[in-house]
Amino acid sequence: MAAPLRQLSRSQAAWPAWLLGLLVVLPLVWVSWAAVAQGLDVSAWRSLFDDPQWVPAMLLSLWTGLLSTALAAGLAAWLLAGSFPGPAWNRLLRLLSPMLAVPHASFAIGLLFLIAPSGWLLRLLSPWATGLQEPPPWPTSQDPWGLGLVLVLVAKEVPFLLWTAAGQLQRPELARRWAQELQLAASMGYSSRQAWWRVLWPQLWPRMWGPLLAVLAYGLTVVDMALLVGPASPPTLSVLAWTWLNDADPAWQRQGVAAAWLLALMIAVTAALLWKLAGLVRWRHHWSAGDRGVLRQTTLAAGRMPAAAYPLLGLYLAVMLALLLGSMAGVWPFPDLWPHSFSLEAWGSVLASVGTVWTSLLLAFGASLSALLWSLAWLEWAPRAWDDALRRLLYLPLLLPSVLWVAGLHSLTLHWGMDAHWSGLWLAHALACLPYVLLTLGPAYLGFDARNAQLVASLGHGRWTMLARVKWPLLKASIASSFAVGFAVSVAQYLPTLYVGGGRFSTVTTEAVALASGGQRAIGAAYAWLQWLLPVLVFALAAWAGRPRRFRRRVRGMV
Amino acid sequence: MISKTLAPLPHPDRRQVLALLAACAGGPVLAQTDPAWSAIESRARGQTVYFNAWGGSERINAYIQWAGQELKARHGVTMEHVKVTDAADVVKRVRGERAAGRNQGGTVDAIWINGENFLAMKREGLLFGPFAEALPNFRYVDVVGKPTTRLDFAEPVEGMEAPWGMAQLTFFADRKRVPQPPESVAALLDFARRHPGRLSYPRPPDFHGTTFLKQALLEVGADRPALYQALKPESFERTTAPLWRWLDALHPLLWRNGRQFPQNAGALRQMMADGELLLALTFNPNEAANEIAARRLPDSVYSFQPRAGSVGNTHFIAIPFNAKAREGAQLLANLLLSPEAQARKADITIWGDPTVLAVEKLPPAQRALFSARSAPGQLEQSAPTLPEPHASWVDPLEREWLRRYGS
Repeated sequence: MAAPLRQLSRSQAAWPAWLLGLLVVLPLVWVSWAAVAQGLDVSAWRSLFDDPQWVPAMLLSLWTGLLSTALAAGLAAWLLAGSFPGPAWNRLLRLLSPMLAVPHASFAIGLLFLIAPSGWLLRLLSPWATGLQEPPPWPTSQDPWGLGLVLVLVAKEVPFLLWTAAGQLQRPELARRWAQELQLAASMGYSSRQAWWRVLWPQLWPRMWGPLLAVLAYGLTVVDMALLVGPASPPTLSVLAWTWLNDADPAWQRQGVAAAWLLALMIAVTAALLWKLAGLVRWRHHWSAGDRGVLRQTTLAAGRMPAAAYPLLGLYLAVMLALLLGSMAGVWPFPDLWPHSFSLEAWGSVLASVGTVWTSLLLAFGASLSALLWSLAWLEWAPRAWDDALRRLLYLPLLLPSVLWVAGLHSLTLHWGMDAHWSGLWLAHALACLPYVLLTLGPAYLGFDARNAQLVASLGHGRWTMLARVKWPLLKASIASSFAVGFAVSVAQYLPTLYVGGGRFSTVTTEAVALASGGQRAIGAAYAWLQWLLPVLVFALAAWAGRPRRFRRRVRGMV
Repeated sequence: MISKTLAPLPHPDRRQVLALLAACAGGPVLAQTDPAWSAIESRARGQTVYFNAWGGSERINAYIQWAGQELKARHGVTMEHVKVTDAADVVKRVRGERAAGRNQGGTVDAIWINGENFLAMKREGLLFGPFAEALPNFRYVDVVGKPTTRLDFAEPVEGMEAPWGMAQLTFFADRKRVPQPPESVAALLDFARRHPGRLSYPRPPDFHGTTFLKQALLEVGADRPALYQALKPESFERTTAPLWRWLDALHPLLWRNGRQFPQNAGALRQMMADGELLLALTFNPNEAANEIAARRLPDSVYSFQPRAGSVGNTHFIAIPFNAKAREGAQLLANLLLSPEAQARKADITIWGDPTVLAVEKLPPAQRALFSARSAPGQLEQSAPTLPEPHASWVDPLEREWLRRYGS
């Protein structure tokens, strides 16, 4: 980071960027340092390595994390290859936000309702087809191989990857150029899929490195979903770290911190290995050898989504339906397809918790808005070199295991006197939103055609006029959608809300997790729906606010 | 107690007799008008008590809300229920606050606690007190019949936490599928042989799972006196050997061959309700009745306890050393101990948590509050309580279980 800093001190009018950078770097560095300081305990590491569970748990984490990342990346690329560019891609994009809005844990709960031995799928087939009168002893829930966990991770990460890819493809000049290149390849006799893999993918995927890394880190460190659908004996390393960290005994807690650091190391090592692997020259040979292979021209009917999209959509639909049914189910023995009794009690208590909804909304609004304003200012005023340097730091909250991050955050708010206060909570949520907001907004913002600014300047207008009248209105779709992403991230925050808020602020998510710990199916499912509804509404609002209607009409008028 | 004090004194002088009389008869009266207590009451007015309590049950949450309203009405103290998933989180928060030098004005005013969390807080000096036995309503506590009100997991409470409710390991099952309950660990093994794959228990270190281990340990003929003392590492292997032999025999007969266990008692209950398992377990003897009342379990479900006795304990309210509203927290602890609050808590349609009070010693009007209404699913015959082994056994027991069966 030193080099860009030196460069900057030479440039003039750098103080807004300085100030902006300081605003974010200071808490980030503090939190990271507090997290690092906890890992420096030799005895904790020794007791970790004495524990018989850590090796199998680590292998399981690696297996589920790597497999889910590979599958998610492959599936996302497959979907992209089959739909971009064209109306199918736009259709897929519209479906992304409701999928993104499903909280991870809710998705896992709903999936269990479907696939568990007493789940809906088997009830659907029992006893007429399977002959089962009792749930079979099949390991379909919490399977020891972690396949359920991989399934949930893939289903949740594909929409995220597509979303970040969309962020790249929203850059008008890139989208145009890539569409032209694809056409060119097609005219040279490549099928659209071959063209996509040879022309577009090599250009797109280096830009996707950050999001892919985030997906990998998430897959390796996820706790809430792994607790629900992941293997149990042994669990994944992140779950082990989590149970240890939750113990009352400080020695266990230190062992948990060591395990969390082991996770962080795993992320760093696997990321470095993958980076090496991806840079191997043989890939380039493979892509650019010129071999067209057998030409199977699969012309996609206009607007038809690639076939792989349907199972994904179907899965989301089934999960949400199962959750809805679960939220109203009373006594419901196997193999009955429908519950014996329905009850709206769970929804009643959801309605009774209007206070938590307001807290969630205000907090998410405040955090996401401040993250958005900061990102706009940063992207506008900070030099590119600074931006690159900061990005690396900003990925920290995504890459550090969440338990370490939260411990650091708690220590920061305690020292700054912001704990159990709305200001600390706002800071925690804003820091959590920031990387996602910047990630979604960045590509479109930085790709904004500089000629627009020159044009406005040549008409004698200042920078503010350019921003307020031209640049921001043109980018409003990206701005609105990055706000919505930040909002969804804030709504889903659990640990930071609990710790930094001192438990004094209950949000929809803290309420849902607290009730889930009692194992009450109906109420857990009802809250899962509520957790989904809030961000979905905001995504819908963002889509409405970002709709390009006005702009389009004007262009038509000019033409 | 009186005879013990008097015995070595053949001629007690008048002052001693008076003091004794005051301690026995006048105690409650004095407590009511105790100037120290009045001072606490007046200082508490206007405070807000942040009560950190497990929030995993709607019914318990509703009860706590009721207590908050009472506290406001009677003492002008506001109570906020901080819903937590694990008391250990709260212990950690208080510890973090002390590490950051926050020795007053802490974020936790009262905490629902017992066992190893209490032990940790007590040993590390994270608790305010002693306060419990000075609470006016403490005089009704059944310290003789329910010794665990003063001995939390064999650790002397010493007034550092106020008893709130009683818990005892209880099993429940559906009579349609389990007509004859297994009422001992030996019977449980037979039962598992007859129904392979239909039994399980929560995975230790989940505390219900650990309690199941303790129950088995106490029943399989381990050296009981040793279990009630602080653990001596050299005797661990010998004392626990019968337990591991029993588990080795049991595990292949369990759900998923004992290679996998449900995460917690809630998951176990749901699997029992869905028909995947035959037995569920709980610490609240009235949980099944409560779930039937909430129409989450069919009314053919019944409760039972191991006939020779089952592990029982008391849960408490403690106040952290840096609590901001420590006076208000004491009023809350006192309110929760009142016969009205305890009777309401014991009501199966409300919560069904057994009282810590000696009901037979209450004045008739208050005794009447505890009318025993019977409800389907309620425990019909309660077994003797086996006190918890000393808290120092918990950790080694869990570690050894994990070493043997955890991976």
